Amino acid sequence: MVERKKGLVLAAAVIVALALVPFFTVREYVFSILCMLFLYVTLSQSWNILGGYTGQINVGQAAFFGMGALVARLLWVAGVPFYLSILAGGLGSVILAIIIGLPALKLRGHYFAIGTLAVATIAQITVGNILPGISFLPAQQMATYSLIPRYYVFLIIMAAALAVIYFTVNSRVGLGMEATRDDEEAAQMVGVNTFKYKMIAFLISSFFAGLAGGGFAYFNASYYWYLPFTLMWCFEPILIVFIGGVGSFLGPVIGSVCYVLLKELFALTLGEANLLIFGIVFILTILFFPKGVIGLPAKLRQLFYRRGNVVGR
Amino acid sequence: MQSRRFTLVMAAVAFILFSFVSAVALAQEAPKSIKIGASISLTGRFAAGGIDVADGYKLAVKHINDKGGILVKQFNKKIPVELVIYDDESDPSKTVTRLEKLNAEKVVAYLGEFASDMNIAGLGIAEKNKIPWVGVTIAVENVFNQGFKYIFGPNMFSFMEVAAFLDALDKIPENQRPKKIANFELQVDWGKECTKYLHEYAKKKGYTIALERKFAPDTKDFSSMIMAAKSAGCDAVFAVPTPPQSMTLIKQMKELDYAPKATCFVRGPDLSNFWQVMGKDANYIMTSGEWTPDMPYPGNKQLVADYRKQYPNKLMGMPVGNGYSAFQVLADAISRAEKLDRESIRQALTTTSIVTVKGKVTFDKRGVGNVPHALAQWQNGKLVVIVSPDYKTAPVLVATPWSKRK
Repeated sequence: MVERKKGLVLAAAVIVALALVPFFTVREYVFSILCMLFLYVTLSQSWNILGGYTGQINVGQAAFFGMGALVARLLWVAGVPFYLSILAGGLGSVILAIIIGLPALKLRGHYFAIGTLAVATIAQITVGNILPGISFLPAQQMATYSLIPRYYVFLIIMAAALAVIYFTVNSRVGLGMEATRDDEEAAQMVGVNTFKYKMIAFLISSFFAGLAGGGFAYFNASYYWYLPFTLMWCFEPILIVFIGGVGSFLGPVIGSVCYVLLKELFALTLGEANLLIFGIVFILTILFFPKGVIGLPAKLRQLFYRRGNVVGR
Repeated sequence: MQSRRFTLVMAAVAFILFSFVSAVALAQEAPKSIKIGASISLTGRFAAGGIDVADGYKLAVKHINDKGGILVKQFNKKIPVELVIYDDESDPSKTVTRLEKLNAEKVVAYLGEFASDMNIAGLGIAEKNKIPWVGVTIAVENVFNQGFKYIFGPNMFSFMEVAAFLDALDKIPENQRPKKIANFELQVDWGKECTKYLHEYAKKKGYTIALERKFAPDTKDFSSMIMAAKSAGCDAVFAVPTPPQSMTLIKQMKELDYAPKATCFVRGPDLSNFWQVMGKDANYIMTSGEWTPDMPYPGNKQLVADYRKQYPNKLMGMPVGNGYSAFQVLADAISRAEKLDRESIRQALTTTSIVTVKGKVTFDKRGVGNVPHALAQWQNGKLVVIVSPDYKTAPVLVATPWSKRK
């Protein structure tokens, strides 16, 4: 309990420190990288509550991310204040999740994964057909564009996602989710309403994916309407969670830091070889640290004790 | 008397001091290099085109630096160019951060990239950061109708592609000339723009759009469109498919025995490996002729020779020439700018008038390039220019039925 309190205080201190960054630097590059980092933390954390804690592998996160971006951008460009637009984006994704979740969450295992991937693909094609053009910011908004408010929007969304998911997974609801993940049939046998917990996880997941999409719409000056619906947004959160550690609270945070900052470093220093090197690092992580980077200390401890035993003989 | 002498001496000292201070202030030190930045897809799905564009840029830098760099008026001396290229991994989100990184590194201008997704993300950042952006392959005119000031597209646009296609039809002898055009519209803004201009220009020139069908960027089966065009008796086809789609379209047209007299696919057949992939089926296909290795414009021979020397095993695609030409446009603007700053370079770009390796380039008030609208056709394994406003080109060949081709 004391450890948990210490952790919460530390997390709050980190968020406050991040909120102070604009007082110490004006470099837009720093803000753009941190915005991407916060976006990926939110998106991967939103995937983790459904995939990592509840065991439902959602391969269609792009549909919810894209829906949030679409609703937020349309409203914002039409004159609605950006914070309301982003919130509406999150709610739009929740509505989509309710429509999809009711039938899709009856599916299990691979069928659920394939079903969500199908939804994302349909969403991408539909938006591409209906809105084949480019979304530009009006010239007036372009003239006053600044990264600092975007930085705070992403920071607030990330902090909200971390707080909501943390308290959810550490509550009775979280226990229900984990019971569903570990053995759905056994959980049902002892009276756990697994559908309810899957649905709660799905709604929280899609809400924050939608908010992240809203942040994307607020951040980008110009992009093709279909861009936030591309399948890249399905696979990147999964990749990040696997790098950091599936089903752990800090896994997506660590995974995002590795994914965004390491990739940035590789891209700026290694040129065309950067993806190859990153791919090798990823494969090695999965092979030797299947629990992700977060499992690294335990793995090292295990190795250390094994070696100690050998020496002791 | 003494006080007068004293006043004169003091005045002389003040004058000397003033002159010295002014000279020191004016004689700013010239930078060691002119930093220009580009975020390009060197990896990922658009890497093939991105690497070609980067090769074009690098060769242009080499040629400029071999002559000492660009003459900058502000310092009255030549300063070498430093090109900084970062890989965006074919991901528009990365384009944004890479361009911010380049902004932090104080580049004086951005250069564009191969694929639209990245270009669209990039030009918003350029406008926001007030850094001139010179594109390479941005054919959508609508982008330039947003009131942006820092965006320049020294390349062919949708209306030029359509005009070149209709000019090619005009060159066909009247007794063989196609009259009924089938328009296969790609469901993106570029496709829509082409449709708009095709209707407008075809009407003026007396051609009929006898059939119109829409298709998505990931469509793989075109049989119903092809059969509809065949049934409607269309003897010419125009489309801007993706490169893989243009190959699929031709294969399916052959399978369904549909051989219109003129077929123009703006994207795909312009790539250097098209003949290798399609073989003789590529014959008679028309495509963008924006740049080819045979163009007679100054500097083109040297570009081709040096590229082949540097990359003996690589085929030379159109983006190489386009990239080289874009760099020439930017270098020219830097040399004409009063100062080596972003705003002066932007101002200079607006008055561009330079003959590059693909012909003369100027810009309208929006930044839309006015370049020679050219069309090329595959003729026995060679992509030859059949329409050019600047020089005599090869004749347009009318396609024969599939059954009569050897």
